[in-house]
Amino acid sequence: MKKGISLLLILLLVLMTVVGCSSPSTETTETTAAQSETQPATEEEVVTLKIYAQYSDDDTKIPYDYAVAELAKAYPNVKLELDIQAQDDGQKLQTYAATGNLPDIFQVGLSQIETFKESGNIMILDDYAKSTGFLDKAHPSANNIIYNEDGHIYAFPYAGNELVLWYYNKALFEQYGVKVPETYEELLTAIKVFNENDIVPMSIFAKEKWITTAMFDVIATRFEPQGITKLDRGEGKASDEAYTKAAETLNELVKAGMFAEGATNTNYDQAAALFYEGKAAMFLNGQWEIQGSTEKLGENVDWMWYPVMPGYEANKLALSGGGAPGGYAVNPNSEHKELAAEVAAFISEKYCEAKYMYRGNPILAVKVDESIQPETPFPAMMEKLDNELGNITSTTTFAWGLSNPLFKVAIEDQSQFLMTKDYTPAEFIEELDKVIERMEK
Amino acid sequence: MKKYFGNKMAILVFTLPTLILFTLLVFYPIVQVFYKSFFDWNGLGSGVFIGFDNFIRLFDDKLFFLSNKNGFIFAAVITLFQLSMATILALAVSNLKMKGRNFFRIAYFIPVVLSVTVVCQLWLSIYNSDYGLLNRFFETLGLDFRQNWLTDRKSAIYAIAVVNAWQWMGYQFALLLAGIKSIPNSYYEAAQIDGATPVQAHMKITMPLLSETYKFCLLISVTGGIKAFTEMFIMTSGGPGTSSYTLTYMMYSAAFRSNEFGYGLAAASVLVLECLMAILVINFIFKTEPEIGGE
Repeated sequence: MKKGISLLLILLLVLMTVVGCSSPSTETTETTAAQSETQPATEEEVVTLKIYAQYSDDDTKIPYDYAVAELAKAYPNVKLELDIQAQDDGQKLQTYAATGNLPDIFQVGLSQIETFKESGNIMILDDYAKSTGFLDKAHPSANNIIYNEDGHIYAFPYAGNELVLWYYNKALFEQYGVKVPETYEELLTAIKVFNENDIVPMSIFAKEKWITTAMFDVIATRFEPQGITKLDRGEGKASDEAYTKAAETLNELVKAGMFAEGATNTNYDQAAALFYEGKAAMFLNGQWEIQGSTEKLGENVDWMWYPVMPGYEANKLALSGGGAPGGYAVNPNSEHKELAAEVAAFISEKYCEAKYMYRGNPILAVKVDESIQPETPFPAMMEKLDNELGNITSTTTFAWGLSNPLFKVAIEDQSQFLMTKDYTPAEFIEELDKVIERMEK
Repeated sequence: MKKYFGNKMAILVFTLPTLILFTLLVFYPIVQVFYKSFFDWNGLGSGVFIGFDNFIRLFDDKLFFLSNKNGFIFAAVITLFQLSMATILALAVSNLKMKGRNFFRIAYFIPVVLSVTVVCQLWLSIYNSDYGLLNRFFETLGLDFRQNWLTDRKSAIYAIAVVNAWQWMGYQFALLLAGIKSIPNSYYEAAQIDGATPVQAHMKITMPLLSETYKFCLLISVTGGIKAFTEMFIMTSGGPGTSSYTLTYMMYSAAFRSNEFGYGLAAASVLVLECLMAILVINFIFKTEPEIGGE
């Protein structure tokens, strides 16, 4: 009896294994049969290109889906195989490069462009930018994000010069009779009044190190319009007057209670919720926040110029942020590199169209055809930004737009540290300068 | 049996696959760690040989000493917490007269099977400055002890160590419980006849007989503490700033964020050597004990 049952079970196991192993092969035989049937119908073979792109929220999904739909019309023989970008500072892409498995098209930022340049993992796109007409359609203001410092084009950008904006809740300021700060003194007053009334003066998701870098840069541009980019290029030291003052100012603001307790452990959802629910008066984020903030706060939200430091009024219209070379790049060892380059340029253009139509963003790298209309009118904050674009005197860059990976890591870590009450500006300056010294070697 | 153990060919054939896998996946990478730590390497290409420069820089780096300190703090906290709690709870649960033994046995082991991400998210909520369980608890008691658990540069590492200690206590507990179960009951009966109290019985019988288990528990706590990474990566990204860096995090940051693989591997080499030293020291301590106990 026992032997019989065990024999039966073994037979069952073998049967299931055979069934499990055989189905994929029957599928492939079916599809190859189908393909061989349709082959006489289509002249060109279907080319599958691997693409490594962001695809995580509306801001990244909508443009991608639109680009794929448009691609099917313009290049019917090209299929895209999406490999979703991991939010890991480019490590997965680095591993692909090290093992020779780079996708045909991949989204890349400046510091990785610099690394890939050295190891021959990124294609020079100068000729393709001309032949696909990308350069003709590009915004003149976008030159700084198309051309790398060495004069070549390594990626097709789609985002225009995006900026760090200082948002504020108009209703809260009116409710507590606080003047929207234009100077440092007014900012300190605002902080005091809001703290007395249990409102967080500024909500910030300081768990993410790029926003703490942006916060430091916002203060740094008060003294030196080039902000962190000057340090990134090794043209300045943290112990220079401008950056020392910036560190001391940020430290003062932290001690004055500008940020919530435990800000360095607050993530985006938590910080944004504070702002949207009217528990925080101000918020710092990139300009892509405009869409979300307008949906939640409507007319009550606006952005303001960063407050001015006494004696440095000339820097009032200097902003932090800005584009950097980056976007869709091509693998020079790809089998279909010419086609990949054309498709990459095409996708970037379509991203711009999608952002214009569906994401309320007119600030792009490529000029959008006049016949294309936005789905809904642009939010008021976006109109204001669009109008003020010409008045901005200078921009810097976001953390991901820094070119030196050593500096990027150092400023990210140190700026987050400076957002805590125990960290002194002296330590900040000392640690940054150590890294800057090593960068020079 | 003699036929199989005497047949050297058979031994070779049966152990070869595992040996090959081990060499490829464990031994070769470790050799590479030490080898590449003498290079200036950005992860792509072959790198430039620079001798001991990475190590000289390492010993000059404040972050290296902070990472080591954090590693030892982490190891100390989890060893103390886990071993003491596991001992007490294992002894309690092994007592046949205790009610609900099975329930407690399962309950203490549940954190071990939870994913580390889940545990970290749980503790992030508990540690939250505004609405976290811990601060609210102190508020309810009327104490003014609200802390910034994870955003204070001094307390962050302790807070993170507690998370790991809480999660893995159950593992040591299970090991000790299994060890206690294997002690014959006749020993305890003999002790009872001699007039020993339960505490004396446990001190003289249970603990010495569990010394091998304790050695193993101590080993995994200490080395696990020195090479901690996951908790600080998920909860604070090594923050605030760099105050909860450990050697593993330093290796990760140098290799994957700054593209300085050579420097990261130098930190990793030191880490491997430290763990090795810890193992040797623990083995030495436990080797001498039986001799003393046997007198």
